[in-house]
Amino acid sequence: MMRFTDIKREAGFVFGHRQIKLTLLVVFLLSAASLWSGHVEMQEQQATIERLLEKDQIEREAVITHQSNYGMVAYYAFHLTYAPPSPLAFAAVGERDVFPWKHRIRMLALEGQIYESDTDNPELAFLGRFDFAFVTSVLLPLFIILLLYDLKAKEREARRFELLNVTARNAHAIWSARALVTLVPLALVTLIPFVFFGLVNGASLPSILTVCAIVIGNIALWSGIVLSIGAAKRFTNFSATHLASIMLGVWIVTTVVVPVTAHTLINAVVETPEGGDIVLTQREAVNSAWDKPVEDTWRAFIATHPQWADYTTFNPERDSSFNWKWYYAFQQVGDQAASELSQGYQAATLQKDTIASYVALLSPSLLSQRLLSNAANTDVKAMVGYENDVRAFHQALRKFYYYHLFKAPEFSQESFEALPQFTPSIKTSQEKKNEN
Amino acid sequence: MIINVAKTICADQWRYWLRTKVAATVLMLGAILTLAALVVNAFHIEEAAHAREHLQTEAEERFKAQPDKHPHRMVHYGHYVFRAPTPLSVIEPGVDTYTGNAIFLEGHRQNSAMFAQQRQSAGLTRFSSLTPSFLALVLAPLFIILIGYGSVSREREAGTLTLLLSQGTTRWPLMLGKLLALVTASSLFLLPLLLACLYVAFSSESTLIVLLFCLSYAVYFLLWATVVTACSALFEKSSVSFTVLIVIWMAVCVLFPRLGSSVATNAAPSIGKLEADFKVEEKLRSLGDGHDVNDPAFKKLKEDLLAKYNVDSVDELPVNFRGVVAQYSEGRQAKVLNEFAENRMNEELEQAEIARQFGWLSPTVAVRAISTILAGTSLETHHRFLKEAEALRLAFVQGLNKVHVEKLDYKLDMNRNASEEAADKAVVAADNWALLSEFNFKPEAANTRISNALIYFLQLFVWVCITALLLKAAVRRLNP
Repeated sequence: MMRFTDIKREAGFVFGHRQIKLTLLVVFLLSAASLWSGHVEMQEQQATIERLLEKDQIEREAVITHQSNYGMVAYYAFHLTYAPPSPLAFAAVGERDVFPWKHRIRMLALEGQIYESDTDNPELAFLGRFDFAFVTSVLLPLFIILLLYDLKAKEREARRFELLNVTARNAHAIWSARALVTLVPLALVTLIPFVFFGLVNGASLPSILTVCAIVIGNIALWSGIVLSIGAAKRFTNFSATHLASIMLGVWIVTTVVVPVTAHTLINAVVETPEGGDIVLTQREAVNSAWDKPVEDTWRAFIATHPQWADYTTFNPERDSSFNWKWYYAFQQVGDQAASELSQGYQAATLQKDTIASYVALLSPSLLSQRLLSNAANTDVKAMVGYENDVRAFHQALRKFYYYHLFKAPEFSQESFEALPQFTPSIKTSQEKKNEN
Repeated sequence: MIINVAKTICADQWRYWLRTKVAATVLMLGAILTLAALVVNAFHIEEAAHAREHLQTEAEERFKAQPDKHPHRMVHYGHYVFRAPTPLSVIEPGVDTYTGNAIFLEGHRQNSAMFAQQRQSAGLTRFSSLTPSFLALVLAPLFIILIGYGSVSREREAGTLTLLLSQGTTRWPLMLGKLLALVTASSLFLLPLLLACLYVAFSSESTLIVLLFCLSYAVYFLLWATVVTACSALFEKSSVSFTVLIVIWMAVCVLFPRLGSSVATNAAPSIGKLEADFKVEEKLRSLGDGHDVNDPAFKKLKEDLLAKYNVDSVDELPVNFRGVVAQYSEGRQAKVLNEFAENRMNEELEQAEIARQFGWLSPTVAVRAISTILAGTSLETHHRFLKEAEALRLAFVQGLNKVHVEKLDYKLDMNRNASEEAADKAVVAADNWALLSEFNFKPEAANTRISNALIYFLQLFVWVCITALLLKAAVRRLNP
């Protein structure tokens, strides 16, 4: 049993070391800095979305009032779609700097628009994010190694080991108490800034607790690794630094070697359609329609939209040879032509993510990184979910416009009140507050 | 004498490494990783080069194989350009995986590059990817620390340092011997890289670039070997020099590069492309819709043209007025678009430069900047790709507009929507599509890249000086 007096004595001992106090201070600063930087960035993303929404509304209204037929409005009106940062995104930027989180789309073929990415500065993305998830999953294990690697060996080298073991009531209790008084402050200096920023960002209590649990779990896992290497019988004769090299080796293998090897293997195993092929196919299908008999387009269009089969004829006097119905029909057909490739592309992305989730079981760092971005809704699934939101929204736009183009009601400004509105599936803290 | 002593010390150190498991494992692991990274990356780059070359040819062929059409259809048909990887990207893929390498070029629009490979990484490469440059810049220093942290302090702890010094070995040869041992050990990671570099690059890359590239990596390794040896001598105990070196590594290799990126994002926030697009559109609207000859924005153009040819109506003009409008408005649009694109590129570059200032705090940042700039995988080269793509876009769109002006009759053109037959008449011959020029992207000239990298060479030089001073201090304080 660990006793309070043991803990108290060891706490005094641990905090008597300048090195430990310094390490804790550095971890605190790193944690706070990463959170602050993530917080500022998410504020900026939120503000960007708000500015965009405002302008988007104005632009679209201007288009609607300036046009006098549905085809023209559909051609010129853009619609903003976006994936707002979740209340926890400040802690784990996740895939938000790789996958696009905002698009402006219009009624034309979607495959030509959805891969457009408005990502940030590629050089900064290449240098990497310094977010809380990075600090806790990659750096924290290194600090744990630095703090604990010579837990026992230090005493052995100082020839106090046996003495300590003999004088203590319980030999294990000393080491557990000493590890605990090191690890608990470490967890605290990491998590206190997080809880502060979590509350500022309006994250829910369960989600804050989830992140704390992940971080504590990560600390526990790494402490377990470090302590069991330190305690292993076969290493008893090794020097402390020798042991630390082994611990660092474990860190390198799990944090670097496993993920990058898996990345290479996964890319080789999972067949992914070339992105270029998707857009080329789509463009070819769309543009060749101009030169093909109109019937070709109608056949492919009606195959998926039989409800409009009786509305494909048009009035040459009113519509002339160019006709919006036909124009949007071949945009649709263009998407249909590329749909198999495009579904394959998305399926490959998800499949890779699934395999990666198994790989993560071999790498504590990867695992905690994934869990954190999952908690923050910034993982691959969330970003693919956003892509599907955009697809669903585009589908709704098509439904709206097909009705107005094929049934050809009289043009009226009021009809646009029924224009579909994009609603993101991830709720921001702001929206959550408003709901309550 | 000095050389002989250094040699003996070096050989002795090597014997020690080969005997101990940790050092031997680290050396093996490092060498295997470097080779694996090189092979994997070389295959990958080779494949990408072929794929993109193939797509580029195909895009060009498809463009030229289009049937007779209205020229403006071709403006919207558009064209794709792909960026082929540079020879040195086998070692330093740089920003390539983050930028996307294909751009769709079309009339009236500047699209961004699509399909960044990073999207396909399933989050596995958040910390790193298996690129030779990552291994050399981030992992190799850790390996050097692992094998070298005790090279001098071990002798002190075992009491052999006293022996060595008392038997007449002077300090400099001793330190140089230890350094030499670490340098030769670390060359296990470096050498494959240099050889690959020479093999891949001498064929199609400037010799000077390759030499400077190799040199900066070599200097970087030398820096680490020196710092590790110096720390090992400066601190009494192996455990202290180990802790200090790991902390230095964390700061220099892992923390500062990322801190730089975060500081740059927050210090010089840039508005995204989407937001800039609104501003572009606002400005473009004032220029008039190039599809509509009756747009009031073209009133003056019309009057000038009528006056120039001394006719009363656009019907009588010897040129197609619709084409003239298209040409005129495309030119003015391109100017606006380029002005904004230029702004955005400057913003990005400014951010990158803030991040690269961390090179004064970390040699890793400095060498990374040098490495990407020399390899032609830096932001600068990406911008160049965007600019060249834009030049090609404007050239073929305006070429098509010229065909529109000169080779398509205005009346047929205006009548094209009357019936299908009328539409069939408002076309030009397919041989006009030959105006598309080939896209063959090359990074900046060697001297441009070198001069772009100069400031980062200066950063590296400062580090060399600091490390030399450190070594000197370590030698002076070398006491048993």
